[in-house]
Amino acid sequence: MSRNLFLWMLWGGLTLVGASIVFAKLYIGGDRTILLPGQTAGAHHQLEIACETCHTSKPFASQAKIRKDINKTCQTCHKDELKAADDSHPKKKFTNPRMASYWEKIDGRFCTSCHAEHQPEITGPMMLTLQGDYCVACHSQGEQDIRKDRESHADLTFDTCASSGCHNYHDNRAIYEDFLVKHAGEPWLSAKPVIAVATLQPVPRATDAAEIASYIASVDAPRTNTEISQDWAASAHAAADVTCTSCHAPEEDIWIDAPGQDVCADCHKGAKKSFSLGRHGMRGHAKISKPRDVEKELKKLGWKTPPAGVVAGLEVYLNEPAQPSAMTTDEARVALLAESHGQGMTCVSCHAPHKEDPQNTAITGCLSCHGDDHSRSYENSPHFAAWQAELAGDAPAGSGVTCATCHLPQTERKGAAVTNHNQNDTLRPNEKMIRPVCMNCHGLEFAIDALADPALISNNFSGQPIRHVESIDWAIKRVEPPEQGANQ
Amino acid sequence: MTKLAKKIKAAMLCGAMAMPAATASAEMAYQDVSDLLHLVMSSDRTVYTRMIVNRLAVKEKVITASEHFEDDKALVLPAQMFRFGAEMVAEETDAFSYSLLSLWPINKQNAPSTDLEKEGLQYIADNPGENFYGEEELGGVTYFTAFYADVAVAEACTSCHNKHKDSPKTDFEGGDVMGGVVIRIPMDG
Repeated sequence: MSRNLFLWMLWGGLTLVGASIVFAKLYIGGDRTILLPGQTAGAHHQLEIACETCHTSKPFASQAKIRKDINKTCQTCHKDELKAADDSHPKKKFTNPRMASYWEKIDGRFCTSCHAEHQPEITGPMMLTLQGDYCVACHSQGEQDIRKDRESHADLTFDTCASSGCHNYHDNRAIYEDFLVKHAGEPWLSAKPVIAVATLQPVPRATDAAEIASYIASVDAPRTNTEISQDWAASAHAAADVTCTSCHAPEEDIWIDAPGQDVCADCHKGAKKSFSLGRHGMRGHAKISKPRDVEKELKKLGWKTPPAGVVAGLEVYLNEPAQPSAMTTDEARVALLAESHGQGMTCVSCHAPHKEDPQNTAITGCLSCHGDDHSRSYENSPHFAAWQAELAGDAPAGSGVTCATCHLPQTERKGAAVTNHNQNDTLRPNEKMIRPVCMNCHGLEFAIDALADPALISNNFSGQPIRHVESIDWAIKRVEPPEQGANQ
Repeated sequence: MTKLAKKIKAAMLCGAMAMPAATASAEMAYQDVSDLLHLVMSSDRTVYTRMIVNRLAVKEKVITASEHFEDDKALVLPAQMFRFGAEMVAEETDAFSYSLLSLWPINKQNAPSTDLEKEGLQYIADNPGENFYGEEELGGVTYFTAFYADVAVAEACTSCHNKHKDSPKTDFEGGDVMGGVVIRIPMDG
C-alpha cells in the first residue's frame, strides 16, 4: 500500500471516528459540555447540560419550527411570572397582522428576538442580547414618536428608556403613569411602617417548658437527643402532629437519619414550587429534561428495535451525565463567602429541621453564604436596626426588615402568611420589589429613588438616595387639574 | 310522534347526511363573513357598554370603569373587553383577526398604521352608516380588510373619552363615529 493511500485512509478513519463521537453525543447520549456553543447566561447555567429543557425540536427540523418550539419552552418557567407582571409587551400584542411592519424591526412575537441564549459576549442584564436602543425601533417614528408625544421626553437620549424607575419592557406594575399619579406626594417613611403580613397571628405552638415536657411525654419520641426533642416540641410541626416518623420514616418502617427534600415537599408543596422557580432551587424544577435514554434516542433516529447488547454497551460507553439535583455554592456566579464553598442548597440550608429559628431562616442562613457588598452591609443598616428593635420589643411587630422581608416576601393566604421561596421574584428588575415590599413602609417616590441608586443598594440602604428620578413629577405635570388624579 | 314516524324521520335524516354535503359548505364571500363577525362583536360590546358600564358606572355609580381594573377594583373598559376578546381569538385561530382603531386614539398604538387603515378609518368617519372594504398585503400575506364604524352607543363612551387627558378629541357626542372595528381575513393564494 502506498504511503499516500495509507495517509488518506488514516485521515478518513480518524474523521469518521471523530464524527461518530460527536454524532453520538448529539443524538444518542453522552456529555455534551464540550459542544456548548457559548456559556449560558444568567441562571440558565444551572441547567446547562439538560439541553432538552429548551431544545425540544426533532433533529433537522426547520428554523421556523425550532424557533416556535424554543419560544414555547420559555413559557414553561416564565409564563406565570409574566402573567402576574401584567406584561406590557406580551406576545399577543404582536401577533395581529397589522404589526407586520414591526416584525421586521424587532419581532416581538418571540422571546428569543431579544433574549438569545449561548451568546455571553453580547448578553446584558436581564439576559438581554440587544443593544440598549431597542425601544427606538418602534417608538420613535411618525405617530409613535415619543419625543413628540411627551414634552418631557423631547431631549432624552435613546439609551435611557429602560433606566431604573422609568420603563420596563415587561413589568410596569409599580411605574405605570396612573400608579405614579395615585401615589404622588407620599412621605418617604409612612406614619406606621409595618409589614402587614408579618403581623398575622402564627399557628399556636407550645411555648413554656411544662407544655413541652407534657407533649414529649405524650408522644412516642426517641429519647436519645433531648435537645432535638425540646426544639421540635416547641415548633409548629409538633403543634401539627408531625412527629419523628413523619419525616424520618415516611414509608414502611425504615428509619432515615437525614431525609431528603422530597419529604419536606410532601406537605410543603407551595414552598417547593416557588423554591424551584428561583435560583436557589431551580435545579429541582419539575420540567427540567431528564437524562436521555439510549434506547429512546435510537428509536427516534429510526432504529426501531436495537438489540439489548448495543443499548447496554452504548449506555456504558456514552455515560449520559445526570443533571445535578441541587445547586451548590461552588457553581454560583455571585459573590459568596469562601467558607461556604461546597455547600448545597436544600430546605435545610436555611431551615433547621427541628428548631424554628426566624433569625436563622431570615438572616443568618443568607449571610452564611452571601458575601457581596449588599449582604455584608446588612448588619450595619437601618433595616437591621429596625429588626433588632422589634426583637427587643422596642418596636411594633412587623416593623423589622430582614433579608427575607424583601427577598422572600410573604403574602396572606387564608389568614396565614405564605412565603414566596423564589428569591428572584422581586428582582430582575428591582422595581418588582416596590409594590409587594417597599411600599409597606415607604412612599413610591422614595422607593423608586432608592432602588435607582447603586451605591445605596451596595451599602444596604444606609443613607438617603443621592439622585431623584423624575417619573412622578412628569406624570403629575400631565394631570389637569392636579387634584383630579388619574385618567378617570 | 309515533314509533314508526320516528323511524322514518331518522332514516330520512341519515339519508340527508349521507348525501354529498352540498348544503353545509356553501362558499361565503369574505365580505359576508366579516359582516357577520362584526355583527356579533358589536352586539356583545354594545351590551357590555350599555348594560354594564353605562348602567353601573355612569348611572348607578356603584363602581368605576378603569384601564387598571385590577388595581382599581373597577370594571374593564369596553375597548379592553373588545381587545381581550380579539386576543383570545388570536390564540385559537388565525382564520381572522380584528382590532379597534381610531383616528383619535387614547393610546397611540391604536392609531392607523397601514395605508389602507388610514384610508378606511377616514372613509367611515366621513360617511356615517357605510362600511369600507379593501385588500392589503402584510407580512407576505394578502388580507381582505373590512372597516366598520364604531359609534358612541352610550354616555359612558363620550363622557370618558372627552375627559381623558390623552384623548386627542374632546368634543365627541352620542352617535358620533369614534373609531373603527377592523377585521382582517387572510385570502387564499
